[in-house]
Amino acid sequence: MAKLEASDAVVFGISIDSPAANNAFAQKIGVTFPLLSDMNRKVLKQYGILKMYNVEKEEYDWAQRTTFVIDKKGVIQSVEEEASAINPNNAVAVCTKLPKK
Amino acid sequence: MHRTSFRAAMVAAALAAGLLTSAAGTQQNVKVSHTALKAGDMAPDFTLLDNQWKQIRLSDYRGKKNVVLAFYVLAFTEG
Repeated sequence: MAKLEASDAVVFGISIDSPAANNAFAQKIGVTFPLLSDMNRKVLKQYGILKMYNVEKEEYDWAQRTTFVIDKKGVIQSVEEEASAINPNNAVAVCTKLPKK
Repeated sequence: MHRTSFRAAMVAAALAAGLLTSAAGTQQNVKVSHTALKAGDMAPDFTLLDNQWKQIRLSDYRGKKNVVLAFYVLAFTEG
């Protein structure tokens, strides 16, 4: 996290949870960055990462675990999905390489 | 005359191939739900509430900060 802040980046977590649930979650795991609520799945659809999960024979549309790095011009610099999205090192590396101006 | 119809047929075949390819691509996207966005694309703008009920607009950070968007499955899970 410190490395990301040093590279002039902000981090947002996004899920379909409510702000209240996200706030409790943030306190529990001690995150310092904002957790955003996409309760109507608008952004998940925009970014094309809705994923069907099967729980007790019912289907739910939740987010596919994905990390996007966006530069200051609003251009996507990297996209990571699934397992590689959990490890933040690559996102850190991408941000560190971006121009600081 | 003959030549023209041959060209028309070629164009039609190319179009059909293109349509088939894009249809297959779309289908695959739906099945595995991979994002169609890639490096070099503009990030779609959005406004969402954060965990303090404050509105966060992605485009507010343009020209100021790099942004890392980490989509996760659900709170209180390992996902």
